[in-house]
Amino acid sequence: MGLRSTRIRGPLGRVAVAALLGAVALVGCGPSGNVVTDLGATGGTPVEGGTATMALPPASTPNWIFPIGAPGYLASYNSAIQDLLFLRLFMPEQKGAALTMDSPRGLAEMPRYSDGNTTVSITLKKGHRWSDGKPVTTRDVKFWFDLIKYNKQDWASYSPKLLPDDVKAFEIVDDRTFRLRLDRAYNPTWFTANELQDFVALPVHAWNPGHQSPRQAFARLMRHARQFSAFATDPLWKTVNGPWRIEKWTTSGQVSLIPNKKYRGPDTPHLDRVVLKPFTTADSEFNVLRAGGVDYGYIPPSVMAQSTKFKEMGYRIDPWEGWAITYIVLNYHHPTAGPLLRQDYLRQALQRLIDQKSISRVIWHGSATPTLGPVPAGLLDADPYPYDPKRAKALLARHGWADRDGTLHCVRPGRGTGECGAGIHDGQELWLSLLSQSGSTETSNTMQAIKSEFGKAGITLDIRQQPLNTVLGTTVPCKQTEPLCAQWQLGFFGTQGSWYFPPDPSGEQIFASNAPSNMGNWSDPRTDRLIRATEYSDRPPPTSGRGDPHLASLLLRDYGREVARRLPVLWTPNPAYQVSAIRNDLRGVDQNPTLSLAPQNWYFVKKGGAGR
Amino acid sequence: MTTPALEALDATQPDAARATPGLARRTLAVFARNKLALAGALVLLALLAFCFLGPLLHPTDQIHTDLSQAGLAPGAGHPLGTTDLGYDLLGRLMYGGRTSLEVGLAAGLLATLFGTLYGAVAGYFGGWVDAAMMRVTDAALAIPALFLLVVVAAIVTPSKPVLILIIASVAWLSPARLIRGEALALRGRDYIHAMRLMGGGGGRAVFRHIVPNAIGTVIVNATFQVADAILYVAYLSFLGLSIPPPAADWGSMLSTGITYTQVGYWWLIFPPGIAIVLVVAAFNFIGDGLRDALDVRLKNN
Repeated sequence: MGLRSTRIRGPLGRVAVAALLGAVALVGCGPSGNVVTDLGATGGTPVEGGTATMALPPASTPNWIFPIGAPGYLASYNSAIQDLLFLRLFMPEQKGAALTMDSPRGLAEMPRYSDGNTTVSITLKKGHRWSDGKPVTTRDVKFWFDLIKYNKQDWASYSPKLLPDDVKAFEIVDDRTFRLRLDRAYNPTWFTANELQDFVALPVHAWNPGHQSPRQAFARLMRHARQFSAFATDPLWKTVNGPWRIEKWTTSGQVSLIPNKKYRGPDTPHLDRVVLKPFTTADSEFNVLRAGGVDYGYIPPSVMAQSTKFKEMGYRIDPWEGWAITYIVLNYHHPTAGPLLRQDYLRQALQRLIDQKSISRVIWHGSATPTLGPVPAGLLDADPYPYDPKRAKALLARHGWADRDGTLHCVRPGRGTGECGAGIHDGQELWLSLLSQSGSTETSNTMQAIKSEFGKAGITLDIRQQPLNTVLGTTVPCKQTEPLCAQWQLGFFGTQGSWYFPPDPSGEQIFASNAPSNMGNWSDPRTDRLIRATEYSDRPPPTSGRGDPHLASLLLRDYGREVARRLPVLWTPNPAYQVSAIRNDLRGVDQNPTLSLAPQNWYFVKKGGAGR
Repeated sequence: MTTPALEALDATQPDAARATPGLARRTLAVFARNKLALAGALVLLALLAFCFLGPLLHPTDQIHTDLSQAGLAPGAGHPLGTTDLGYDLLGRLMYGGRTSLEVGLAAGLLATLFGTLYGAVAGYFGGWVDAAMMRVTDAALAIPALFLLVVVAAIVTPSKPVLILIIASVAWLSPARLIRGEALALRGRDYIHAMRLMGGGGGRAVFRHIVPNAIGTVIVNATFQVADAILYVAYLSFLGLSIPPPAADWGSMLSTGITYTQVGYWWLIFPPGIAIVLVVAAFNFIGDGLRDALDVRLKNN
């Protein structure tokens, strides 16, 4: 047997291999990289210029520049770069716990809704120009809209009934104002956040000088967009209206941006250059970070405990929290687990056995925060089912589950009060199986901790770990009769968050009946009603105040509270998008939860001067 | 002329039997003279006792996590500290060692058993049977073992029996080729011809003559197979393809420990790493000692 041709033969060889395995642990012990600056995290005098290097996520290669994403090219780093070159009309920006679309970085003023929320009027801000000096006009926005309207099947962000289907007409009023006629009334907050956020202006004068039809123009632009190696040289991509333009874009994925001197927006860049550096693995990035090779990188969550060492090296550690939630999906259509999971009391008991606070603190080393419901945790005021194993056990006992040899069995079958519930037979063991993604120590440990707590309460949880793609391919919405539905009971794919929201964290894609990402097949009329309200209604729901100016947030709050209470899934700690390590002398870094970048706000500081 | 000579030989045989100890005793004597081999055997015995009897002296809960005790350095109550999930590391080392040793031993022995029979059959029958059987092993050898192991372990959820089968399924190739060579040499011996003349079949030849006469090679190879199998368990665990938690083995413990290299949790790295080195070294030293002890050229000494 053995390692074949690569194998060192003989006993000494075997011993050497074993010793190597043991000794590999010793490689690179302890952070001992260069001290990049002796500045603290605050103070210092801002200086103009300089080059900042940012590490891209592991195995991420920016490979799409055209702001209309093709399927397979929708990665967050691609859109983050596009947004720096081609401004969106509305950019989400954090405001307290929520997001606002009223950002100075956006190309347009806030939209005005009229005709019972069936018409939207949008005015572009004054003074924005393309890098060739031409003004940005509504024709540029119309050009983008026509491209997606006539080529929607090739647009990766297309969902039936949403953009562009929900816009009946695009009317240009003048160079700066246009009007959208919608197919029905929509909740203005939802429409602005989740539909208008896609709107972007494209330079029609430069990209379609021959006035080709939208289909022909789109086909031509896509041909250019697929020429990865020509992104920095193709004249097409040199006409931009954002604060940055491309200097270099290598085939290995390293992108170098320099300021667009013609940019007239409120946030002109301070730096001379920003370099986005790709890494094949997190380990290679970590080594380069320790050597001082990047100004803005990331560390594994396990190193959070040693953040003081990084502080000594001149970095500040800041978890970048995404606009996301994390959960274990429950398959309500599974033949045997379905009847169990459909019991409200059982889901409540399971949720009470998940110690989210301890898991976040110990296993994720503080780089995760408990998920409280179907919207980002900051938008909810309470955890309806905090960790309480005693109450969980009591709840199960009250519903006819008794401990036999350390595992719970149903001793009172039936649908009545105090009975196990419909579809659960006499003597049935409380046994569940979880399909979880592999490859992450933190996820593996989280699942072990949950299994352990379940076990203490008498619930058997079998954990099967598979690569992420296998888990994603298995945990899909299914019908009860489909064989695939019998292959999984509980699923977890949230090592980097289970669901990243659009700016308005409504649930039409994850918890509405038959929604495309409703993996567990949750179906509840009340949930559907509340989701529809966030999407379409601007009237106050029964529990909200009358005439409240924050009506939309109240609708969202009601939806959030109700679904948090109903538990369509089991909430688990939401990990940070990344644990960032930022050089102390690099300032102005705002880690937007929607994962966009704003390096135009970054600047370096030096010691001394008035800024101290 | 021949008769007196044979008589003389017969006359000397009882004396020779009295003077020369039996094969087992001779083997043991040669083995005992090899200090490294003896040390290997003692280390292996100590590790077996540590893993299987240790929990009696140091009972710990290796099933339920205890986050309040996570990441404690060695000290009172936890002589080797605790893991990132609050398991007592000394107890986990015993618990994980069982998996490593059981799977390693079982996979190594299974691979040796199957490989020996396969090689003996191929070597004894020769001709097209040998050619066909050996092309199968050549083809299988052409595929990198670790690649196969990773693919298979990713498809099925590993459990102890599955892990044993997975490792044995790639490990039998080497003993098969080795024993086939032995069988090729043995099939031409007179006693095999005699057996065939007396009507003995292929099964008898393989089981009663070929395999017993190659037993020295088989035993020595088995020790190396076991050592390799333990390393394979470690490789697979290191790649995250081990038996699901809360089960543990030394490879997965080492893999977890390395996550915390930067944090300075040295107690998560050294104990499982040293245990793997010790057990693999022990098996290899034992194998070396047995090879010397069973070596035909040394028997007359």
